[in-house]
Amino acid sequence: MTGLRRGAGYLLVALAVVVFLYPIWWMVVSSLKPGASILNDPLGVGPFTLDNFRAMFGSVPIGQALGNTVLVVAVKGAITMVLCPLAGYGFAKYSFRFKELLFGVVLLTLMLPTLTLVIPLLLEMKQLGWINTYQALILPGAVDAFSVFYMRQTISQVPDELLDAAAIDAAGTLRTFWSVVVPVIRPGLAALAVLTFFNIYNDLVWPIVAVNDPARQTVSVLLAGLATNVTGGSTSSGFDLWGQLMAACTIATIPTVIIFLLVQRHFIKGLLAGSVK
Amino acid sequence: MSLLANRAAPRQVAALPKRGRRGPRTGWRGPLLVAPFFVFFAAFGAYPLYYALQLSFIDWHGGATYRWVGLGNYTYLLTNPDFWGALGNSAIIWLLIVPAQTIGAIVAAGALSRAKLRFKRLLRTAVIVPYVTPLAAMAQAFVLIFDRDYGVVNHLLGLAGLPSVEWLTSTGWSKVTIALLVLWKSSGFALIIMLAAIQGIPGEVYEAAALDGAGPVRTFWSVTVPLMRHAIAFFVVISTLGISQMFLEPYVLTGGGPYNSSTTTGLYLFQHIGASDLGTGAANTFLLVIMVLGLSLAAVRVFRESR
Repeated sequence: MTGLRRGAGYLLVALAVVVFLYPIWWMVVSSLKPGASILNDPLGVGPFTLDNFRAMFGSVPIGQALGNTVLVVAVKGAITMVLCPLAGYGFAKYSFRFKELLFGVVLLTLMLPTLTLVIPLLLEMKQLGWINTYQALILPGAVDAFSVFYMRQTISQVPDELLDAAAIDAAGTLRTFWSVVVPVIRPGLAALAVLTFFNIYNDLVWPIVAVNDPARQTVSVLLAGLATNVTGGSTSSGFDLWGQLMAACTIATIPTVIIFLLVQRHFIKGLLAGSVK
Repeated sequence: MSLLANRAAPRQVAALPKRGRRGPRTGWRGPLLVAPFFVFFAAFGAYPLYYALQLSFIDWHGGATYRWVGLGNYTYLLTNPDFWGALGNSAIIWLLIVPAQTIGAIVAAGALSRAKLRFKRLLRTAVIVPYVTPLAAMAQAFVLIFDRDYGVVNHLLGLAGLPSVEWLTSTGWSKVTIALLVLWKSSGFALIIMLAAIQGIPGEVYEAAALDGAGPVRTFWSVTVPLMRHAIAFFVVISTLGISQMFLEPYVLTGGGPYNSSTTTGLYLFQHIGASDLGTGAANTFLLVIMVLGLSLAAVRVFRESR
């Protein structure tokens, strides 16, 4: 009986693994298939060719898009990683007037759906003349309520005695932060960095509104635009595009999977940080 | 809100808290540390919201002329069948996703936390990987996988002797396909939340239940699950927020069609941008904010008060 149940358990596990990984597997395999075999033999694996990748790099500015994404991730991520821990430090360890009220504003913005800011921000960008600029991609959302909230929770666990000792040594605010707080909260910072990376890399709602110039679009915007090429026409017109489309999607997806596998522990820690409210 | 955010930080500089002078972490340093957040919030949160609120009362299509219409944009939306249609679509998609995903994740987490299976870590990793992949890419893959003529899913149905399904091109199935994409992508998140909630329950609770002679299934539903209610509330609220804002899934999979059958509230909001109908879009934004905040508060309240 237990053997049977155990067997059923393994079967369910295997089924779940297949269901959740198959779309990614299929995307990668299809990107490597030649010509129309992606259509005629959707289940088949091989023969393989890099033709789709060559054709795709020739027809779509994906190199530019990848470069833009790297730039946005690096600069926006750096702003988040500097300003949010410092704000969390202020909220966790300093006393000042209206602190509770101000932190209430942070909590309130935490509840605000991102989508609600899209149209207002679009209008602001138009006023500023920032449409199709890097600053439009980078500045809005560079400092977010969740990160401040999470950093406050993390830094409040740093013992006050450590900070007082640093004060006796006459260490300044930033020096204390850098040499006393940062070493203690390193795991929390790692989790925040990982979450921030995925949030910015996969962000689409804002970039799709802020840029339409191919010279400024991120990978996600580029991919969303390709959708209309294929689904807009009937499938018969898009035969050759299927392989190229999957090649573009593979290039966008593989980095996220690899990075996730490397930093899985931090990612899950960060995800759970949000749920303990 | 913009007033607060703009003025709070400079004011602190002038007014030192009286009792604070004794401690080392008082004075102007604290306000200075939190100031950048409020500068960003004022510039890219409070100000645009305030501007959009004004805009929601005018008729403006992006040109030089505009017209004050009072509540006209709001009444236009509230009497527009497309607005309610999108809301209905989102509600149906919510029903297709949230109950199944929540209960499924609770049961799976319960089974996984008890079972002594190998490959448990592999399973957890496999289930969460879709959550980190770019939606823009995976939605494209789903378009091809669920294609009527050449997709893998219909191919498999054919091998099983079943008829093809119009996953993306029929009013009946378009919402189901969108729900499948969301289920595929976010179930790992649900599982992680529920697993953590179960692991956070102290062992004594189970000892007490065992002393009362409760069996494993009964213990699970009447002891474990009620103790998970904060996690469940959190997940339901997050899902509701996500589904109410969902726009890329229908945008890529179906374009909102056929016949608007898969136009969600998020996609409908976006269509105002496409049509340059920005006053209506702003009004729609505030209707959505009110709705989402109301739903979230209701969900929190239901789960806090039950039991």
